[in-house]
Amino acid sequence: MKTATITPLHILSRTAAALLGGYCFVWGFTTLGIALAVTLGMSFGEARTLSYLLAFLLFTAVFCWAFATASLGRAWLLLAGGGAVMTLLGWLLAN
Amino acid sequence: MLQTFRQSMAWLHTWFGLVLGFVLMAVFFFGSLSVFDREIDRWALPETRFEPQPMPSYDNLLADVFPNMEAEEEELDAARKRIGGELPAQLQPVGWGAYTTHRDPVLDVFTEYSVPNPADPFDHVHGHLTLDPRNGTVLPHDRLKIGSEFFYPLHYSLHIQWQQLGTWIVGVAALIMLVALVSGVIIHRRLFRELFTFRPGKRTQRSSLDLHNLTGVVALPFHFIFALSGLTIFAFLYLPVGETVLTTPAQAHLMEEAVSRGLPFEPAGEPAPIASVDAMVMEAKKRWAERGMPGEVGFLWVTHPGDRNSFVSLFRAGSDRVAFVGQGVHFDAVSGRVLYEEPPPSVVAGINEFLTGLHLQHFEHWPLRWLYVLGGLLGCTCIATGFIFFTEKRKRNLKDAALVRRVDALAVTAVTGMVVAAGTILVANRLLPVALPHRGTWEEVVFWLAWLLAFAHAIWRGRAVPGSLSPAWREQCWAIALLAVTAVVLNWITTGDHLLKTLITERYWPVAGLDLALLASAAIAIRVAFLLRGRERATAFVDSQGSRALEVVRG
Amino acid sequence: MVESLLLALGVASGFIGMGWLALSMSQHWQQVRDTSLPPAKLLRALAAVALLTSLFLCLWVDHPSIAVLVWVMVISASAFLVAMLLAWRPRWLKPLVSWAH
Repeated sequence: MKTATITPLHILSRTAAALLGGYCFVWGFTTLGIALAVTLGMSFGEARTLSYLLAFLLFTAVFCWAFATASLGRAWLLLAGGGAVMTLLGWLLAN
Repeated sequence: MLQTFRQSMAWLHTWFGLVLGFVLMAVFFFGSLSVFDREIDRWALPETRFEPQPMPSYDNLLADVFPNMEAEEEELDAARKRIGGELPAQLQPVGWGAYTTHRDPVLDVFTEYSVPNPADPFDHVHGHLTLDPRNGTVLPHDRLKIGSEFFYPLHYSLHIQWQQLGTWIVGVAALIMLVALVSGVIIHRRLFRELFTFRPGKRTQRSSLDLHNLTGVVALPFHFIFALSGLTIFAFLYLPVGETVLTTPAQAHLMEEAVSRGLPFEPAGEPAPIASVDAMVMEAKKRWAERGMPGEVGFLWVTHPGDRNSFVSLFRAGSDRVAFVGQGVHFDAVSGRVLYEEPPPSVVAGINEFLTGLHLQHFEHWPLRWLYVLGGLLGCTCIATGFIFFTEKRKRNLKDAALVRRVDALAVTAVTGMVVAAGTILVANRLLPVALPHRGTWEEVVFWLAWLLAFAHAIWRGRAVPGSLSPAWREQCWAIALLAVTAVVLNWITTGDHLLKTLITERYWPVAGLDLALLASAAIAIRVAFLLRGRERATAFVDSQGSRALEVVRG
Repeated sequence: MVESLLLALGVASGFIGMGWLALSMSQHWQQVRDTSLPPAKLLRALAAVALLTSLFLCLWVDHPSIAVLVWVMVISASAFLVAMLLAWRPRWLKPLVSWAH
C-alpha cells in the first residue's frame, strides 16, 4: 500500500483493527488458553495467571502486526475472526 | 500499512507515541512521585510526621476500632440506588482489615459490609479510616494524603472514575508504551553503536532525537517491565474472562480452593466471640521464622467477624523481598487454631508476585527506590524529547504550522504544566486553612485549575519557529521554581520543620527529602529558564541578522 | 554497614563496566583519549567482568528478587551517567583507560 492511498478512514479502520481486533484476539487467547490448561489438569487460578502474563505480550505483537501487514481485510479477519473462534472454542471446552 | 515494515513501524511509533504520549507523561511522572507517596503524605499531613509503626495490637487497639466503623456515605448512597430502597440500620460486616508497610506511621484500616441485594449476592460497601496506631486517634476524613491518595491514583486512573475509564485509558497508554518500545527498537538504526550518544551541541532536532533514543534505550528494561507489569496488575479488569465466558470453571475453582484449604466460605449465622488475635500473630511469626523468613505482619484480615465461621488471615510484610505480602497463615477466629498455612507459590504465581511486587514496591530498599525515580524520570525525558523532535522536524514545513503549534502547546502543558500543577497542590496544602470544610477536595480543585491555567498559557504563548522553542517553556520553568521554593518556605512557616531541623537537629527524612527534591527542582528549572532565554536571544539575533542581510540583498 | 559498602562497590563496578563498554567504541574512545583505536576486545572483556562483579555483589547484599532489580537499574543509571559524562565532561572518564598503552 502506498502512502498516497492512506486516507483518514483507512487509518481509523487500521487503528480499530489493531486496538479492538487485537483486544478480541487476546480475549480469545486468554479464554482458550485457560480452558485448555484447565482441561490438561492445571488449576484455574494458575491457568488464568499464566494467560494474563502472556496476554499483553501477545497484544503488543498483534498490535504491531496489524500495522505491518499489507492487507487491512486480513488484519480484521484474523484478529476479530480468530478472537471470536478462540472464545467460542474456549467456552465450549469449559462448559 | 506503508511500503516497508520499517516505515509502518515508524508511522506507528510517531503517531501513537504522540497521542498517548500525553497520557504516558502523566503516568511516568506521577508514578515516579508515587515511589515516595508515603513521604509526600508526611509532608502534606504535618500531624502524621512521626516514625513508622508496626501493626498495632489487635486485642488492645484494633478490636475496639473495627466494630465502631461505618461504611462510607457515598458508597451507601450508591448502594441505596442499586437496590432501589432503604438499607437496614446495621449492615452485616463481611471483613475487617489493616495494612501497613515499613514506611507507614499511620495505619490504614478498612471494613467491608454485605448489602442485601437479591440481584447480586456479593454486593457490598466499604468503610475506611486512618489512625495513629500508637493510641488509636482517628485522622480527620477530609485530610488529603497527597502522595498515596492523589498522586498515586492519578498514576493509574487519571482520577477518571466513571466506569473506570481512566484505568482503561492508562491501560491503552501502557500497551502503546510496549508497542512504542518494540517499534522504536525496530526503527532505531544504530541501537548499540549510539547507546551512549548524546550530542548537545547539534541543532535541537538532532540533539532531542539523541536524548530520546538514549533515555529510551538505556532504561529499556525498566520501561518494558513497568508497562507490562502495570497491565498484568490490572489484567483482572481488562480481561475479566472468569466473570464472563468462563464463570463455570471459575466458580468451581473458588469452591474447590475453599474446601481444600478448609476455610469456611459462608458465615454460619451464629454469633461467637473472637479469640486473642495477638496470640495468632505470635504463632504466625513463629511459623515464618521456622521457614527461614522471620518477619512482621503486613496485612491482617478478619473474614465474617463475630460469626462462628469467622477466620483470621495474617500475611507477612515483604519488606526484604520483592513480593509485597505473602506466606499467609489462616486461623479459626473462635478457637485460635491454625486452619491453613499457604505453601510457597508455584512458578507461575511466583513470577506474577514478582511482577506485581516490583511495580508496587513495598520492599525496604532506599537506593532501589531512587533508581526507580530515575527510571521514571528517564521515561519522562524520553517522551518529552519525543514531543520536541516531532515539532522540530515539522517546523520547516509551513503546511504543518498549525499542527506544530498545537502539539507544542500540549507538550508544554504535559511537561512543565504538569510540574506546575504538582507544585501548586503542595503550596495549596500549606496555604488552605486547616478548618476549611472539604479541604482535601479544594486541594484537588486547585491542582486541576493550575494545570488548566498552564494549558491556557501554553496556547497563548505558542509559536512555530524552527530552532526556537515556545517562550511558554521558559515562563513555566520560572513558575515551577517559584512554586517549589514557596512550598519549602511555607512548610517551614506553617510547621516549623525547616531543613536544618529535619536534616540535623531532629532528622526526619520524609520531609527533608521532599524539601530537598523541591529545591533541586527549583534549581534545575532556573538553570533551564536561563538556557532557554540564552537560546531565544541567539535565535532573535540570527533572525535580525538574517533580515538585515535580506535588506542588503534587496537594497 | 558492610552491606552498604558492598552495595556501593556493586554500583561502582556497574558504572566502571558501562564506562569500559562505552570506551570500547572508537567514537567514545576518541572523545576521551586521542585519535588512536581502542583495545576494543580487552575493554569489552573487562566490561563483562566488571558487570558480572556488580551482579555478584548485588546478589550478595540483597534477596535475589531485589538484587536483580537493583543490578538492572544500576546498569541503566550507569549507562545514562556515562553518556552524560561523554557529552559534557568526557575527560572525567580518562582514569578508566589511562593505564592503556
